[in-house]
Amino acid sequence: MTSQTAVTRRLGFSRNLSRWDIKISPYLYISPFFLSFAIFGLFPILFNIWVAMHDWDRRLGQGDFVGFDNFTWVLNQPAFWTSLQNTFSIFVLSLIPQLILALLIAAILDQNLRTKTFWRMGVLVPFVVMPVASAMIFSQVFGQFGLVTPLMHELGWFSDVDSPFFHNRLLSHVAIATMIIFRWTGYNALIFLAAMQTVPRDMYEAATIDGAGRARQFFSITIPSIRPTMIFVVLTMTIGGLQVFDEARVFDGTGSGGTGQGGADNQWLTTVLYLFNLGFGDWQDRIGQAAAVAWLFAAVIIFFTLLNFFLTRAISTNTSKPTRASRLAAKRLSEKGQGR
Amino acid sequence: MRTKRKTIAFTAIAASTALIVSGCSGGGGGGEGGGGETPETLTVATWVDIPPELLEQFTEETGIKVEVNSFADGASAQTVLRNGLASNGAGLSDLHLVELDWWTEMMALPEDWVTLPAVEDRWVDWKVTQGSVGDEIKGYGMDIGPLAIAYDSTLMEAAGLPSDPEGFTEFIGGEDATWESFLDAGRQFTEASDAAWIDSTSTAIQAAINQLPAAFEDPDSGDAVALADNDDVKDLFTMFGEAAEEGVSAGVGIGHADWGAGFQARRWATVITPAWATGIIAENAAGLEGWRIADAFPDGGGNWGGSFFAVPAAGAHTDAAVELADFLTSPEAAVSMFLLNGQFPSQLEAMQDPAVAETANEFFGGQETGAIYAGLAESAGDKAAGGFRGVNFAGIQTLVMDGIRRIESGSEDAAAAWTSSVAEFDALGLTD
Repeated sequence: MTSQTAVTRRLGFSRNLSRWDIKISPYLYISPFFLSFAIFGLFPILFNIWVAMHDWDRRLGQGDFVGFDNFTWVLNQPAFWTSLQNTFSIFVLSLIPQLILALLIAAILDQNLRTKTFWRMGVLVPFVVMPVASAMIFSQVFGQFGLVTPLMHELGWFSDVDSPFFHNRLLSHVAIATMIIFRWTGYNALIFLAAMQTVPRDMYEAATIDGAGRARQFFSITIPSIRPTMIFVVLTMTIGGLQVFDEARVFDGTGSGGTGQGGADNQWLTTVLYLFNLGFGDWQDRIGQAAAVAWLFAAVIIFFTLLNFFLTRAISTNTSKPTRASRLAAKRLSEKGQGR
Repeated sequence: MRTKRKTIAFTAIAASTALIVSGCSGGGGGGEGGGGETPETLTVATWVDIPPELLEQFTEETGIKVEVNSFADGASAQTVLRNGLASNGAGLSDLHLVELDWWTEMMALPEDWVTLPAVEDRWVDWKVTQGSVGDEIKGYGMDIGPLAIAYDSTLMEAAGLPSDPEGFTEFIGGEDATWESFLDAGRQFTEASDAAWIDSTSTAIQAAINQLPAAFEDPDSGDAVALADNDDVKDLFTMFGEAAEEGVSAGVGIGHADWGAGFQARRWATVITPAWATGIIAENAAGLEGWRIADAFPDGGGNWGGSFFAVPAAGAHTDAAVELADFLTSPEAAVSMFLLNGQFPSQLEAMQDPAVAETANEFFGGQETGAIYAGLAESAGDKAAGGFRGVNFAGIQTLVMDGIRRIESGSEDAAAAWTSSVAEFDALGLTD
């Protein structure tokens, strides 16, 4: 009697075990991501709200509860608004050339090249270089004694200032945008390339038979076919591009006494650099304000990501006409095939 | 093969779990470090080269190995220390070198640092005062930064102006030199030369601010003084700003990306040079002939920076670390550091050491820089102790220096630059 109960019990237990296995293990398998995200992602984000609502000293920690004072303080700082303008200016200056270049490079790599892998790996080399290292090299290029400035002075451009890239606001943005383009174009080109390789080759064959040139094929087949990738790339570029920090931080050096803080006139102060200067720069008790900047800027990024999402979608939908044309071409091709 | 992969996977999981766990608990045990027993190794965080034979000697005497965590510049060491203190000591070394410019910041919580036993008659008095919080000594002085002016005698000669150290000293005003006479000399120089007089007037104003007894804040309350009403600073700003407007400055200060290249292109004739900067200049101007040090400084001289060795209380081997701090700030150690990097000792005995006073500095044309700095430190006297620095000192100073930089780059004139610096200050709401 007793032994029998033991057996049933054991059976029941193992049945339970396998039931739990089915019910629980999937969650266990995916839990590492959620756990680490909760610790390193979610918690800091939520904690940041708490910090933004308090006076906060770098060393002494939490001070008085101040509600939304930090937010109004930030909104009243001219430097905050300057930083937003700079961020967008650098973003626009880097995004558009980057997209065009990346598409072009991807289109070239998509052709039947010799030593394909070599070229594909080649475009990724700038991405492997540490951003700070490449920024330091670029700041030498744009510096007073670098490659570009003496040349400009010889041509009589900006000859009234010693160091136009460290002085003129727009030029400093161009310089920083150049670093970003240098770094990210190859990376994006590879993503585009991956998308382009999924475009069925017979569509190009059909287009060639219909007499479409390379350029026409690119705009009417390639671009519309990689639409989802375009949207993805533009969105990640928006988020990443708005967060520009390293390049601006080391642009004019990182010494003591004010360099590395975005320029004397805040010419290239980006919002993330502003956040850094507040929380981790000269001031010891502005962590709360820095947290408020983070939240305000997060709102701005979300807004522009959504805007870009709808814009990119709208633009790609407008180009759906050639898609239809190419679809017709494909249909004709398949009909031909059937007719044969 | 299979088991191997399993082992690897297991190790990976174990390692990452350990990382997460240790990451979370790292802060906890910080406060009650301490530690009587002798450790095998001690770590020192510094941006200054420590002579290796000094460390070997320490190892011989105590059996403790010393590992140096070396930083490229003071700013990076500051960042690591700042983050370490904010996270209850995680990632800190046993011994840290702390620069005077950020000493106040690191001493926000005096409990973060071990109180060090007094060592009688080792340092000049004001160095000990600077390194103490109340009555408790928190740092052992390493070097001090008596202020001097380094100049390029080649450029002076080319401009037809006095180029030998005595002549140059007279040219900027001699014993009674003021900032005004220094800048007037600069106006004379820039008329005769294509180069600028000084690398950056923003560095010069920083030195002048260092000479003020209470630059930006009220020493009693610690509150910031409204910049608009700060006449001392405004006078300095106007004086340096107008000189910058007239092109006396190249607008490229120490730490700027163009600084080294500017030396090599001989773009300026003078640089404000605290003793610890002699090594930095020799590095940036490597290969150039003609740099010399003048034996006078505007407004009676002063002190800029200088560092302390301090022991974070969170360390596991504080006793041994105190011993090492004592060892590294001994007069003998100070002499060998002077010979290696040019830091001028804060230790009385080391200052008088013939190795400091009589060693010819190769880069500065064989001048005995140690003797020059000793003289400058002496004539600066107690003024070298520097003024009051509260929590907002660094931030306000940057606002002022940014104003000077805007003048240097030609985007604003002196009056407009002052107005916008004041406006930025007011927007901060420090004096409401």
